[in-house]
Formats: sequence, C-alpha cells, structure tokens
Amino acid sequence: MPHLDSSFTPFTQFRAIIKLEMQKNHHWIKKHHWIRFFPLSGGVALLLWLASSSYSQGQSTQIPAAKMVVRLGFLPNVTHGAALVGLERGFFNKALANLNSASNPAVTVVPREFAVGTALTEAFAAGEIDMAYVGPGPAINGSSRGMPLVVLAGASNAGAVLMARKGSGILSYKDLAGRRVAVPAVGNTQEITLRKLLWDNQLKTQAEGGDVLLTALPPAEITTAFSVDQLDAALVPEPWGALLEQQGATVIGSEKTIWRGGDYPTTLLIVHQDFLNQYPDLVRAMLRGHVEAVQFIQNNPAKARTSIGKEILSITKKKISDPILKRALERTQISYDYNLVALKEYAEINKKLGYARVDVDFNQMLQPSFLRDVLANR
Amino acid sequence: MEGLIENANTYEKQAKKGLPIWVWNIISLGVFALIWFVIVDLIKIYKPFQIPPLFGENSITQEIDFGFFKAAPEGGALLNALINSLKRIAVGFSAAIAIGFVVGMVLSTSSILRGIIGAWLTGIQSVPSIAFVPLALIWFGLNEKAVLFVVILEGFIPVALAISSSIINVSPTLRTAGRTLGASGLALYLKVLLPASLPNLTSALRTAWSFAWRALIGAELLASSGGLGKMLETGRNTSNIAMVMTTILMIGFLGIVMDTAMRAWETTIRRNYGLEVNS
Repeated sequence: MPHLDSSFTPFTQFRAIIKLEMQKNHHWIKKHHWIRFFPLSGGVALLLWLASSSYSQGQSTQIPAAKMVVRLGFLPNVTHGAALVGLERGFFNKALANLNSASNPAVTVVPREFAVGTALTEAFAAGEIDMAYVGPGPAINGSSRGMPLVVLAGASNAGAVLMARKGSGILSYKDLAGRRVAVPAVGNTQEITLRKLLWDNQLKTQAEGGDVLLTALPPAEITTAFSVDQLDAALVPEPWGALLEQQGATVIGSEKTIWRGGDYPTTLLIVHQDFLNQYPDLVRAMLRGHVEAVQFIQNNPAKARTSIGKEILSITKKKISDPILKRALERTQISYDYNLVALKEYAEINKKLGYARVDVDFNQMLQPSFLRDVLANR
Repeated sequence: MEGLIENANTYEKQAKKGLPIWVWNIISLGVFALIWFVIVDLIKIYKPFQIPPLFGENSITQEIDFGFFKAAPEGGALLNALINSLKRIAVGFSAAIAIGFVVGMVLSTSSILRGIIGAWLTGIQSVPSIAFVPLALIWFGLNEKAVLFVVILEGFIPVALAISSSIINVSPTLRTAGRTLGASGLALYLKVLLPASLPNLTSALRTAWSFAWRALIGAELLASSGGLGKMLETGRNTSNIAMVMTTILMIGFLGIVMDTAMRAWETTIRRNYGLEVNS
C-alpha cells in the first residue's frame, strides 16, 4: 500500500472514484461529452426559471378576480385610529358596498394587523398588502428604494411623547446625556424625531461617538424595561405614552414640544402603485371610508374611543382603560391632512442619518389628487 | 484501494499543472458577479428593494462606499459595526478558549465526569445559540454581557470536548515518558499532554470559532448594540436590502478569512508534528 499523504482526503477519494467510474464508461462519455454540461445547464435553467417566475409575478394581478378583497395593513395604535375606527364601525366596507351596487363582484376589506411597522413594510414589499397605514419613516425609506407606494392621505399628526422612567432623574432633554433611550424600531418615525431632538440639544448617540445609548425596543417591552430599570427614557407613539404615564413615568417631551410644535405627520395612508393603477375606483372608495372614519373620530371622540379600545383589545388582548385612551387621543391629531414641509424635513433627516441613500421623488410618491376628488365629491 | 490512491495522486498532479485553486475561486466569484450584474443591473428583473444592483443607486457598492468611506452619522456604520463585532469576538472567543481549556482538562481526569458533563455539553451544543439570547437578555440586560454570554457558551463547548477527548487519546508512550522524566500533576498536563494533543485541538478551535462567530451575529441581531448582526436588523427596518446583502457578504468574507488563517496555522502545526508529508 503506498503511503498515505495529506492529499488523500475524503474529497480526493471521491474524485478518484468518479474518475474511475468515468474511465470505466470512457467511450460513452467521450461520445456524449455534452453530458458534462448537465449540471451547468441545470443551474442556468433554474436561474432563468426563477427570473421569469418573479418577473411574471410582478406583472400579474395581486388579488383573485373572483372574490375581490382589499388587504389593509395597520398597527393597533391610537395613531392608526382611523384604521381601527374605519374597520370597527364598517366605514371601509360601507364605502366599498356603495361601489358594489355599480359593479358586480362584492368587494370587502381584509384587515391585516401587525405588531411593528417593519413587518408591515416587509409584507407590503412582498405584495401581500394593497393599502396600509404606515409612518412617514418607513414610507420614505421604501419609496427611496423603489418600492411602488403612493401616499394618498394623512391619518394622524403628532401623537408621540418622550417619557422618562420614574426615578431616572431626567427632567429635561439635556439630562438624556449618558442615558439609555429607546424607540420602537430603528429608522421608524419616532427614531427620526428623537435623533433630531438630540442634535438640537447638542447630544450624540454612542454610534456617533456621543454618550446617549439608543436602543430599539417594541413598545410593549418598553413597559417592562422601565419597571426593571433597564431603560431611562423612551420616545413612543400613543397609547404607549399614556400607558407609561399611568405606571408612573413622566412626560419630558410632549407631543407638541418634541418637534415642530406638534405639526408633523405620524401616520400616512399608502397604496401599492399596481393596485392604484388597476383599481382606482376601489382606492377612491377606501379613501372615502378613511375620510369618514377621520371625521367620525373628530366629531365623536367618545364613541371613537370605544371603537379604538375594542379593536386594540381584540388584536392585542390588552385592555386599555378609557381615561388612558382619552389622554392618548388628546395628544394625537387624527386628520387626513399632513404637513408637506414636515414630511420633506423627515426625508432630509432620514438621509442625513444614513437610512436612505438617495432623495425621494415626492412628485411620484405623493398623489393628493385622489384625496381632493373624494373631498370634493362627498 | 491501491488503484484508487494512485488515481487520486495522478489527479492531484494533474490539478497542480493547471491554475492554482485561488485563481479559480476568483474566477468563480467573477462569474457570479457577472450573472448578478446581468440579471439585476442590466435586465432589471428585480427592484432595488428585492435584490440590490451592484452599481448605482441603492447598490452594494454604494453601501460599501457609505459604510466604509463616509463619515457618521450618514455613513461609516459598517466599518464601526465591523470593529465592534471583531472586538466582541476577540474577547468572547478568548474567554471561550480559556474556559474550554479548564473544563476540558477537568473532564479528562475522570471518565465518569466525561460521561455526565459531556452529555450536558453535547445537549447544550445542539441548541441553536439564538435560543439562548432571550434568556441572556433577561439575565444580563440589554448590553454587551448578554452577547458575550451567548458567544462564550457557544464557543467553549467544542474546545472543552475536544481537549478532553484529545488528552485521552495522547499516546500512552508519551504519558509514560513524561512521568519517567519527572512530570506529574498539572505539569504533566501543561508540558506533556496539552502540547501532544495540539494537532487535534487546532481543528476543534476552528469549529469553536465558527460556532462563536455565528452565535455572535445571532445575538447581535436581537441584542441592541452596534455590530454586524445589528446592521442586518437596521437594514431590515429601513427597507435597505443593499445594506442587508452587504453585511451578509462581510460576514461571509470574514468567515473565509478567519477559516483560511486558522487552516494555515493548523497545517503548520501538523507539519511540525510530522503529521503531514508534502505541501
């Protein structure tokens, strides 16, 4: 037996066996030498198939034609109040039903709730949602990367507060130096607001070489983190601010003082470009439902609170008392208008933070004509 | 069998006549990049938020440019994350080796201990590291300690198991020779048994490193502190698939670099011990 050296690994053994086999069938292989290209051609075929399937997926309609549905994405937050009220009181389905009398198939809303905005944006990118309530942060990020989304209307303004843990000793923005501050998610609307606020107060995060430790935590976990002293402050959307306040946390930045005197969009209503192109009537009907829900909240705050509370309870299994909802709703301005200047400033800060690399094409992203139509033809 | 080995040897010789393997590696990388470029950049089958292009807006190269060559807060995040992750793996892996050495040496003293503790270690090892992250977050809080805990937990087990088994497998001749020359107790371990088992340890260290590296990225993904794992999460949150892809490439690239370095070290040691003949 010849000596074994390092070149004799299982792999070389495998190659040797293959080579032996090939020698055995030498003539056959030589005659049919194209057989060696089989694995390669298989790979190419697979690639082409993948490419073609994803291409055709992008082209095809996104909803089955037989039973038409509009898939609506939202979060169970007070800042998404229009979605919650619109669903609970049936504003969307009513508006769609008016449309149905004209056309044959029955169209209904399918609610798709998410715990955090990230998952919602991912589902939207994957084409699983037709319309959605999202924050300006994710909408701008998505649009800057070519996600086919169109902003139809605003849904809420302000509605986010900066809370400090009881006993943290934080009284003003300056006290945030060296502290641990949380936002619901990286790159979301609250993070952008907080980063701006820190800059304005000559504070820097650890990532920028400063001493403020910024962490991302889902709002439900912020409550826990406050109670075990893992966190000093948090910028959260309502109703989480009011909930934290009930547990003893103090407001250091109100919905008005944290940015632009409270005149900044927190939630927008967006639609998938393909859906808008294919079903403009459905989109108008949904927008009508949205406007009605917004006006209902403005005119009947007490009834709206009941609806919002009911929806949050059924989605999160968490009961939020009426006084807390009342406070949360007082801090949130439910409206179909949004401040364009604030939105553009968001985009600027977002780019400065390195979350978007290119400027957003606002002409393409914002299409206010649909809202104008709906408001004119009421 | 003999025919097989001869065949293998001739095959090796044939391979050596052609291009060295690293050239083929670079060529294969080039082909992959070219296919990517044609499908994504030229034909534009995918949108930038599905698969990022190689060049231009929202591309991999733009992400690298921002990540390494631009200043904070706009850029520099990738470089920063890279340094943070390397620091963590350096601390975590060193600690894992130290703990693994001690545990392995203790285990090698008794077959009963090996039977009992060894089973525990194997059990823990078969749990994916990410499963320990929630526990670590509760025990240590949202900080560096939680990440290090997972890295060490994942890294020390292969070291401990390899040390205990390779110490047992040290040739009895060496053990007897060491005793005859006056080594006993700890000295026997440190001066005779550990050096003798070094060739077996090197591959275990390589395994331990890849375990620790994966554990680190997994832990960073969940625990909130700057690092490559966190970059994946940031990319996800900001719909920046180019950032996700670039980070994945970085993680893979670092894995290859570390593995190659450790493999070279392993070969040197094996050659010095007379376990490898050629190359």
